Amino acid sequence: MEDRFDCIIVGGGIAGLSAAMILARAEARFLLVERGEFCGAKNVSGGVLWGTDLARLVPEYWEDDTAFERFVNHRRLTLMDASSAFSLDFKSADFGVEPFMGITVLRARFDAWLAAKVQEAINAGANAEESLLATDILVDEILVEGGRVTGIRTGAESFHADCVIIAEGVNNLLTRQLGIEPAYVPADHVAVGVKEVIRIDEKRLADRFQLSGNSGLTNEFVGFASQGVEGGGFLYTNRDSISIGLVLAMADLREKRRKPYDLLNEFKSHPAVADMLAGGEVLEYSAHVVSTGNVDAVPSKLFGDGVLIAGEAAHLLLNSGKAIQGMDYAMRSGMLAAGTVLSARERGDYSREFLSAYQQAIEDSYLMKDMRGFHDAVGVFHSPTMYEKLPAILCDFGRQYFGIRNEPTRHAREMLLASVKKHASIWELAKLGYRASRSL
Amino acid sequence: MPEIRKLSLSERLGTVAYRNQGRSTARAHIEVDTTICNSRCPHQCTTYVCPANCYTIDDQGLVHFQFEDCIECGTCLYACDQGAVTWRYPDPEAGRGVNWQLG
Repeated sequence: MEDRFDCIIVGGGIAGLSAAMILARAEARFLLVERGEFCGAKNVSGGVLWGTDLARLVPEYWEDDTAFERFVNHRRLTLMDASSAFSLDFKSADFGVEPFMGITVLRARFDAWLAAKVQEAINAGANAEESLLATDILVDEILVEGGRVTGIRTGAESFHADCVIIAEGVNNLLTRQLGIEPAYVPADHVAVGVKEVIRIDEKRLADRFQLSGNSGLTNEFVGFASQGVEGGGFLYTNRDSISIGLVLAMADLREKRRKPYDLLNEFKSHPAVADMLAGGEVLEYSAHVVSTGNVDAVPSKLFGDGVLIAGEAAHLLLNSGKAIQGMDYAMRSGMLAAGTVLSARERGDYSREFLSAYQQAIEDSYLMKDMRGFHDAVGVFHSPTMYEKLPAILCDFGRQYFGIRNEPTRHAREMLLASVKKHASIWELAKLGYRASRSL
Repeated sequence: MPEIRKLSLSERLGTVAYRNQGRSTARAHIEVDTTICNSRCPHQCTTYVCPANCYTIDDQGLVHFQFEDCIECGTCLYACDQGAVTWRYPDPEAGRGVNWQLG
């Protein structure tokens, strides 16, 4: 093996592995280092990889049974108060066609699977002996000489490369070491996700959630789910389990002095949720910080001399209200970073000037277009009117509208007006509606 | 309506696989200057926001930190705005930290 690699990738999550796949296909010599025992061992996500990029990275991945849990053809948004749940529900056979527009995954399995695919791509290339995926390696320091990044140090050992892709995830200590992100990132820029994977027999799961074959449901929750803390809940169906959890804004959780695991218990006990979980067995509890998707949290420069930042280490994540898109953002940014590295290799130029093409590629892609385009939606979804009052109004209305009482009934419009007045003001709701209609 | 049993945190942490679980000692990856927590912190927020309850508060109202149950989520790295938390990733050989089976 040569002493020097074309590229070192720090982190074997989705961003790092996606970059690795592109480099492997181009027969570049690279080293990917992962601190976990295997790729995925340190990674947590809610559980949906949105979009179709995976089909570009691993063509016809769906032929492989072990690649993912379920494809998403059924989506539901539920607004809840303490006793009721009001849902917007959409199911479509059009979403059951490959390439799927979303798949549920469990990261310890998915990342390990993707790493195996990268290894296959390395093995198929001409430089099979000169690239490797190395696990159990913690990077202590990014090596910088004369202002340019030259490699990594792990313990007493150093490895050198023409450039380094940092794909270390949201807790981006190395990105901070380089000064690309300030040393202290305030709580406002992140949320904390807590989750349980609950086993439910596959047959029972299919019956309970009306699944057929590998089809799956995603359900997001606002209102009671987060008990007045800014945030929301999620429930995703896996092969023979459910991923259920909460995403809670860090600053508000701190302000309201709540414990995330207590909130998760309350959420699971909601009557509508409890019905979905009955008879399940908790297999694994997990938690992780997640970026809020606020574009202001993205560092102003995602590159430097000999270095590129990809995935959530760069706070690349979209929370538009329709979905939380972290993993597809990681995937695309990893692919774009690797593409830039390959151009740099061709030109023999790894300067910041040349690597700035990566930032431009991010700006030109759906990643930054949507983060900027839906910036206001983040504000709408994080307003108390949205996560507290709207669910209360709709559940109150639902109890009137759907409740048949053998007595003279008011018209829906009057019911809705009464419910609005009870929990908010028309003006407040009109403002929210106006902002929502413009931003979503 | 089915009764959903409320899991205690220790039951939950019992489902988590950790690295180097067999070792009698492990090197701490997070250091907390609890003199800050116990002298000038207005909220002592880590004692409730931490998803693994690594920060506890005793009868005297003093904050203590134990790294052993840490699941490396990063919460305290952001929630502590007093500069009390020095956060590193655990060493694969000598440290503790999670080994997710599902993730």
